[in-house]
Amino acid sequence: MMAWWDDFFWTYQNLVYALGINGLLALSIYVVLAVGQLSLGQAAFMGLGAYSSTIMTVKFKLPFLLVLPASCVVPVVFALLIGGPTLRLSGVYLAIATIGLGEVLRAVYLNIDYFGGALGLSGIPERAGVGAIYGLLVVALLVLWLVGRSHIGRAMEAMRTDETAAEVMGINVPRYRLGALLASAVLAGLAGALSAHVSSFIGPNEYGFEPAVTILSYALLGGIGTPIAPVLGAWILTLLPEMLRGLADFRLVFNGLIIVIAVLFLPRGLLAFRLRRS
Amino acid sequence: MNRRHLMTGAIAGLAASTLPAAAQAAGIPVGAIEILTGPAAAYGIAIKAGLELALDTINQKGILGGQKIALTVEDSAGDKNQAINAARKLIGRDKAVLIIGPTLSNEMFAVGPVTNERKVPTIGTSTTATGITEIGPYIFRTSLPESDVVPVTFKKAQARGVKTVALMYANDDAFSKSGFDVMKAAAEKLGLKILTIETFGSKDTDFSAQLTKVKGLKPDAVTISALVEPVSGVLLQARQLGFGKETLFIGGNGSNSPKLGDIAGAAADGMIVGSPWFIAKPDPLNTAFVAAFKAKYNKDPDQFAAQAYDCMFIAAAAIERAGAADSEKITAALAKTSYTGVMGPFAFTAGRDPASSEGVVVLEMKGGKFGIAS
Repeated sequence: MMAWWDDFFWTYQNLVYALGINGLLALSIYVVLAVGQLSLGQAAFMGLGAYSSTIMTVKFKLPFLLVLPASCVVPVVFALLIGGPTLRLSGVYLAIATIGLGEVLRAVYLNIDYFGGALGLSGIPERAGVGAIYGLLVVALLVLWLVGRSHIGRAMEAMRTDETAAEVMGINVPRYRLGALLASAVLAGLAGALSAHVSSFIGPNEYGFEPAVTILSYALLGGIGTPIAPVLGAWILTLLPEMLRGLADFRLVFNGLIIVIAVLFLPRGLLAFRLRRS
Repeated sequence: MNRRHLMTGAIAGLAASTLPAAAQAAGIPVGAIEILTGPAAAYGIAIKAGLELALDTINQKGILGGQKIALTVEDSAGDKNQAINAARKLIGRDKAVLIIGPTLSNEMFAVGPVTNERKVPTIGTSTTATGITEIGPYIFRTSLPESDVVPVTFKKAQARGVKTVALMYANDDAFSKSGFDVMKAAAEKLGLKILTIETFGSKDTDFSAQLTKVKGLKPDAVTISALVEPVSGVLLQARQLGFGKETLFIGGNGSNSPKLGDIAGAAADGMIVGSPWFIAKPDPLNTAFVAAFKAKYNKDPDQFAAQAYDCMFIAAAAIERAGAADSEKITAALAKTSYTGVMGPFAFTAGRDPASSEGVVVLEMKGGKFGIAS
């Protein structure tokens, strides 16, 4: 029985890791969407976390306990730098500006040999595991749940529904926006560091436009009423391609079909309910 | 590379995969990880076709006293995570004793550590980047690394009187960058003078700035390391800018595709490319392979299919010599491989790379088709 379980876990180990990491990414997009902003910079922040942590581990041989918290620093610095000018933008304009960030960083990774260029960085030791990934996911979920139930959550919801009305009611909109962007940078940076330390290789094309859209789709499928909703969306979108492996060449068709049906019939996400507040 | 390819690929793949699925109940489990969907699917589908063609012959007689090889081909979609998942599924669930693939070098850098940890021999048939077999003692490859092919091409160029070169490459994908590193090293080793190094993006359509600079320097040869689409673009634009016969264009492995003639047409004439295999190679093994491939799939094989075809035979022979479907014994047997296939004589070095580059031929484009370069 034990041997069977070991084999089973070994087979799906990477999937188990991916579920946790994509859960963190879903939370990262959730915080931005929760204040009514549309950002496509999550993959860029993830890349910053992945690259900075990999360099700390591989080139400076720092211990993982130090690398993991430090991997949030670079994404946060970038979030602060771009936060000022871009948070004046809203809606689709912010989305475009954040896509720009991702593309600029991709070009930087490609053209500077220190980052491995197109060959990426390989030979990253496996330092993260189930404990680190799911521990952080649970902590993040709890914190976001508690924040969501507090007066901050009420302010966030007000901003999401009607920003002008929220501002008139005395909510400091720019501060909440920046706060949300920073929190999302931290979460994405952590996810990047964790994913780099379980998959032994990172390359510049993993953090471009396509993954940014995938992360956004986690929240679209799950919904943004509660923090758990986007995580559920991430889990479904991560599990589907693997569960449909049996369908061989038809799996992409079914994968797409399931998502289209979900979006058509559940436009507010799978979990549409909102947080209850006392 | 486009939707139509994807569709034909999906249909061909379905037809091919439903049949063996029924017969997979017993046999020696062997896994393959290839890109069957997405933009790079053309490579994976060609490899799968080569593997299955070889398997038809192998399973007719059977190995280890009449046992059949049960090949499971998993799709990686060119995605690192899906490739790892596929490898883990093949080893953990299907109990594969040997893995063929994955298609891209980038995928191998992620998959290799996983299969190596489980001590399952893994043979890349299309991974040409440097450092692949250094992942671990269970990682092999049958594809000639570019570092074996490029020097042969450059020597041919030197024999034609080339003394100065301009190097161009796409700097946003691992394959092209790795090919460029090899070209630069080869040029330095042969004493060719490098006049300039110009980069572009794989999806670029305008190369006039780089080409104008190159033209001003008047190099004897221009080398291009990129996939076939951008290479075609560079050639077309170079002819418009007045590059003539006096400049020799040299391509890397990416240019070694019949698509070069399809896209660039006469603009590609005169370009030379080193190749581990050539469809019209006058060798009885090769002509039989090409005929069998045409009969089964109704199209011409490419080098990826040829490499995969040989690899399947090499793997089957190793299992036979190992005397059991045991990964450890197969690894030991693989190291002692001595095989002659459609690519020519084959053996592994101590570092698990192909030992000989004898099979390399230099091809030249003429009228939109490759022929042996004079």
